[in-house]
Amino acid sequence: MRQRGTFLRHATLVGVSAIMLLPFYWVLKTAVTNENIYAYPPRLLPESPHLFNFVDVWYFIPFPRYLLNSLIVSALVVASNIVFNAMAGYALTKSFAGKRAILLLFLSCMLIPFQATIIPAYLITSKLGLLNSYLGLAFPLLSTIVCIFVFKAAFEAVPQSLVDAARIDGLSEWRVILRVLMPLSKAAIATNVVLAFIWSWNAFLWPLIITREPTMQTLPLGLARFLSYMEDTTGALYAFAVMVLAPSIFVFLMAQKEFIRGLTSGATKG
Amino acid sequence: MPHWATSRWVIAPLAIAGLVLAWNGYVALNDGGLVEGQVVDASGRPVPNANVILLERHFVMHNERQRTRTDRAGRFRFAGNDNHSLQLEAEAAGLGRTERRVVRLWFRAQNVRLAEPLQLAGKLP
Repeated sequence: MRQRGTFLRHATLVGVSAIMLLPFYWVLKTAVTNENIYAYPPRLLPESPHLFNFVDVWYFIPFPRYLLNSLIVSALVVASNIVFNAMAGYALTKSFAGKRAILLLFLSCMLIPFQATIIPAYLITSKLGLLNSYLGLAFPLLSTIVCIFVFKAAFEAVPQSLVDAARIDGLSEWRVILRVLMPLSKAAIATNVVLAFIWSWNAFLWPLIITREPTMQTLPLGLARFLSYMEDTTGALYAFAVMVLAPSIFVFLMAQKEFIRGLTSGATKG
Repeated sequence: MPHWATSRWVIAPLAIAGLVLAWNGYVALNDGGLVEGQVVDASGRPVPNANVILLERHFVMHNERQRTRTDRAGRFRFAGNDNHSLQLEAEAAGLGRTERRVVRLWFRAQNVRLAEPLQLAGKLP
């Protein structure tokens, strides 16, 4: 009886997973064929699959340049998120005057969409002379509030006695973070890496506004440009989408265990 | 072996870097830009002095890039191709013109020899 229940549960999960993965499969299938996505009746299996659409994408636009730009910006964002968010998260585990107000400010800032703050963000970036630069591209994502709370939750889960023991051993606050808290917060680090990478990798509006030269554009902008050039070649367009998605999926798969743990570590007590 | 060396964060990027290096090595050894093939008539006999046209793709258009003539054995050879998506067409007086053969390459300037000859509709006398 129990075996039957397990089988039914697994069968349901497989069915639901298949439904959720179907759009990804359809993108991949279209990328390896030149089929029209509106063809009726639709074919489940690809006919004469090939990988030449990926070659077209690589050469028809400066894909390696866009890839390099996206990688540099994402690396900047990931590194700064880990550093700044860990510092902010550690500060928020302490008691100080105005802590409650700062927490409320952070939470209220999360409610404001980025589109509403994009003009002041642009003006600040312009005043700093960071338009059309890698640092400018990464600027709004250098620290993110959600990830600060992830670090805060992870640091609060570390027993206070451990931090006290480190202090008695003579460690400074910086070294407490670096030597004690960070090694015990791998899940929070992984969550920061995944979220920061995906957000910066997929950013479209901000790079669209602050880049002036095609050589500074990132992959999502390249995708839009490619669409304007190649609107009749669905296969190549979907191949581009797959090539843009692949690094995000790779990073997520690499860090998924710690990512899930990091997201749920603050959800329960004990 | 140190613990960090067996981490997937080390192994996976290194494996990808290795594949990229290997691929670039293969490309460096095979990017001479040579396109070779043969033109035959309807009965499969080589056609000498046939005109062969190489067209290369620019987004959605194919533009003529080079022309050459076949030798006595019906063979032709283009050098200096730097595209990855080509079309080849052959024509000979009295034998007509072949359909355009699409030649897709894995990288720019890949050396390629056509497995199947370009076949004209007419027969040599």
